[in-house]
Amino acid sequence: MPVFDVQQFRQQFSFFQHNPGWVYLDNAATMHKPDAVVSAISQFYQQHNSNVHRGAHQLSQQATRLFEQARTTVCRYINAKSSEEVIFTSGATAALNQIAFGLMHTVLGAGDRVLLTQLEHHANIVPWQLHCQRYGVIIDVVPLTADNQLDMTAYQQLLERKPKVVSFSHISNVLGHIQPIDAMLALAKKAGAITVVDGAQGVVYKQPDMQQLDCDFYVFSGHKLYGPTGIGILYGKKDWLEKLTPIFAGGEMIEQVSFVNTTFNKLPFKLEAGTPNIAGALGLAAAIDWLQLYNTEQLIQHKLLLLKEFYNGLSVIKGIDILSLPVHNAGIVALNVSNEHPADVAELLNQQNIAVRSGQHCAMPLFSYLARPGAVRCSFAAYNSLDDVNRCLLALEQAVEILTA
Amino acid sequence: MKLEQLLAETRSALVQINEQDLSKITQAKDWQSKYRVLMQLGKKLPPVPEKMKQPELLVKGCESRAWLLHYHNKTDDKHYFVLDSEARIVKGLMAIMLCLVNGMSSAELAKFDLNHKFDQLNLKPYLSQSRGSGLTAMAEKIKACC
Repeated sequence: MPVFDVQQFRQQFSFFQHNPGWVYLDNAATMHKPDAVVSAISQFYQQHNSNVHRGAHQLSQQATRLFEQARTTVCRYINAKSSEEVIFTSGATAALNQIAFGLMHTVLGAGDRVLLTQLEHHANIVPWQLHCQRYGVIIDVVPLTADNQLDMTAYQQLLERKPKVVSFSHISNVLGHIQPIDAMLALAKKAGAITVVDGAQGVVYKQPDMQQLDCDFYVFSGHKLYGPTGIGILYGKKDWLEKLTPIFAGGEMIEQVSFVNTTFNKLPFKLEAGTPNIAGALGLAAAIDWLQLYNTEQLIQHKLLLLKEFYNGLSVIKGIDILSLPVHNAGIVALNVSNEHPADVAELLNQQNIAVRSGQHCAMPLFSYLARPGAVRCSFAAYNSLDDVNRCLLALEQAVEILTA
Repeated sequence: MKLEQLLAETRSALVQINEQDLSKITQAKDWQSKYRVLMQLGKKLPPVPEKMKQPELLVKGCESRAWLLHYHNKTDDKHYFVLDSEARIVKGLMAIMLCLVNGMSSAELAKFDLNHKFDQLNLKPYLSQSRGSGLTAMAEKIKACC
């Protein structure tokens, strides 16, 4: 296996040629797309555009074939048992909303419990809240330990309350910490809970294996996996997907309609109302095909190298308050300059063409727990170089100097 | 601390900023110098005590929290303001805005064009989208006072 060549990898992203002055460290928000993905999308519109699953004509059949091939690509990538278990959604948020909505009344009722964690972002909190309130379902929250890791003892205690659903993120979008999901899933299953994994940040870190993880649901967004925005995946074990009430209705998801009753189509179509994001699905499949040209382990090692360099550099800048741990970290570092607002730090980085996110990263409960107004989040991808790391460190030093002058 | 005292302290700070600092901002050659001046501006304004930072004073649309207090002297129809923000850059930029509007009459305030003024001070290139929208929100809140 040849060594990983970051320049060769990076060259496949036209974005960087168009924006040569920028250091992009906002990958946890969205990643750039390799040219292979952009071409797949334009190729669909230029050469194959037709609606799927309904046309009498050959063009529609061809578009349907491409769309279903994309589903197969995703199915193989995540090692689902069958492509019926792979539902196209608009993203991880839509997928989580479908699960929370879909389980209410059918599976969850008054007095039942759902277990979440303190680390979750709003998409894995609010959909539950919204529906739990209406159906009398109770939400419990796993707290963190002093070093911002999930408190596994508390987790086990909360499982004794027999939650019907346990839903947690694979990797924290704020801190980058990789959760011990194997152990968490095993414990949740032992307690008899339905398991939901939010893979929004997890899917790009490591190829997830559904049969090995053996969770009931796993969701992710395409745009955090080198794919386009507006497409995501709801994976679910067939039996559980069957139990979900569709959140959207209309179009292909229907088998029979009368004003008395409607019966739904079979999976996966039952959960894909309306015309799907066909180009998005093809773009996501192209991203997966492209990514598989690379060795995952090499990409992980490269990101670890960047992370190590970044932590080393941070240790010599005065007054940096780091919230993320360097171990079990997928490449996200949340930090603050002591006594300074993250918005100021991010603005001073912005002035130096360093793209980071600042604020509460759609995880307000986590920040009230951490007792901080927010944080600056630097998130790395495999196309980032050591030069990016060093430029960010220099820019941070400059920011600290201006802020504390 | 009472509102009267905050208004008085803000007023004298703004006079000083107007006389000494605005020209420094226009003349600053690079972004670093411009931001160094901005940081200093915020420090000149009196901090609003925590218990006076009521939710209805929050300027919505800012990434960091900012509060705007307002006093309208009805006898001479003049508007006076006090502001605070968690973030220094916002506080600095808002200090500049207050310099421009503090003591204006209702009619003057209604006519005031913030965008134009920020252009004149050559501040636009230094405002990112989110900060720009925070300032617009601030300008709207100020205008809503008259």
